[in-house]
Amino acid sequence: MTRADKFLLAGLVVFSLLSMAALYSRFSGGADKLQSSKAVISVQGKILRTIDLTPGTRSSFTLQGRLGPSIVEKKGNRIRMMEAPCAGKVCVNQKWIENPGETIVCIPGEIMIRIEGTAPLDAVTR
Amino acid sequence: MIRQRKLLLSALGVLLIVLLASFQYSRRIREYRSEHFLMDTLISIKAYGRDQEVLKKSVSEAFAEMRRIAELADGFPQPGTAAYGSSDVCRINAQAGKQPVMVDNDIMAMLLLAKKYHHVSQGAFDVTIGPLMELWGFGGEAPHVPDTHSIQAALARVGSDKLVLNEHERTAFLTKAGMKLDLGAMAKGYAAEKALQILQKHGIEKALIDAGGNVRTLGRNVHDASWKIGIKNPRKSDAIAAVLQLENASAVTSGDYYRYFEAGGKRYNHILDPRSGYPAVRTMSATVVTKDAGLADILSTVFFVLPPEKALETAGKMTGVEIFLVTADGRILHSSSLKGRIEVLPGDSYRYDQGR
Repeated sequence: MTRADKFLLAGLVVFSLLSMAALYSRFSGGADKLQSSKAVISVQGKILRTIDLTPGTRSSFTLQGRLGPSIVEKKGNRIRMMEAPCAGKVCVNQKWIENPGETIVCIPGEIMIRIEGTAPLDAVTR
Repeated sequence: MIRQRKLLLSALGVLLIVLLASFQYSRRIREYRSEHFLMDTLISIKAYGRDQEVLKKSVSEAFAEMRRIAELADGFPQPGTAAYGSSDVCRINAQAGKQPVMVDNDIMAMLLLAKKYHHVSQGAFDVTIGPLMELWGFGGEAPHVPDTHSIQAALARVGSDKLVLNEHERTAFLTKAGMKLDLGAMAKGYAAEKALQILQKHGIEKALIDAGGNVRTLGRNVHDASWKIGIKNPRKSDAIAAVLQLENASAVTSGDYYRYFEAGGKRYNHILDPRSGYPAVRTMSATVVTKDAGLADILSTVFFVLPPEKALETAGKMTGVEIFLVTADGRILHSSSLKGRIEVLPGDSYRYDQGR
């Protein structure tokens, strides 16, 4: 084997491994799992910001609700209200939402987090 | 020479990529879906897994099992036909008042369940309701309101106390001539549960069986979240009264809108109260959520027939059983344990007080 052959071989192996990694992340765990969705956060009826719920990412931020600062955390394609100044903590107790159409509503803070899209049904009992 | 070797290496590299790609592709979760008309309804099975062949084989076996139970439990084929010969229910009915009949294990299991829930529901559920169903004509084309005398006469031939089961000899006996079994209120759910067991036997972990609105889910859905199951709005076609989140559980609904007729400005639905001989009228729809689809099917009839408050109370005493009711006077009632897993949608024909 010449030096060039060795480079070529090494290159091919690296390329193959990269392809495998790319394919693995594309196909593992269900067809649509890696499609990113968006969460829309509004305070007192006005859209504050839209967040991409990209799998594999994690972040949190503070927003000003009617009662004061609340902390929203997102992790992959899920989002939740981590801390809120309200008394009931209904929003915090609801924990994570991830599906299209799902909402977290903090009534005293007038905050709404909604995942874009409509909730598709798997079946209907009748 | 060197060029040849380079060519060979490149070819090997490409081959490696193709192999890895196809390996990954084969690991992908796929859906296999199949639908058949059975038990007077459309039955659909969706199964998920990585091996398409396994999915196909399992679903086909699951349908075969449902078909077998449908044939055993079918009460309506014409005498003399092949379907009549393979129906245990027809044979039991033909020997009513004469002698016990040996039956299949599954028919035995169904009849034992039926007797149990006849007792639990204090008579609100009764598989010997055949003579009444026939009298009202709900199985046929011209249902009508019978006169009170005929209803009394039919009631005399109804009663699960007159259904005698011998588990040891695997026989069933209707002790009075003219009695008739009707497994319509439980066979679909029972068959769905058996079908699910077949899928599980083949290692399937995600599936949805929809037996004409009797829904059985296995595991979580393809997005690895709870299955979203709508509950039909009883007064508006294509509308949903609520959305349930289910995992590894069933949802079965009995409603007054499925089969009914109107006479003299009154609505007569096909779910009869076996104690009075008349349709149960206090509920528009009763949905039961519990693990076993067979039980859910039975209980949806029980809770449709019982007065709504009594239904809620009875369900509350059962473990792992939750209900959702739309009452005839337009109220929505549901087990408090469904909170957080149910979303009630607004509708014109009912109201919902969240605080309840």
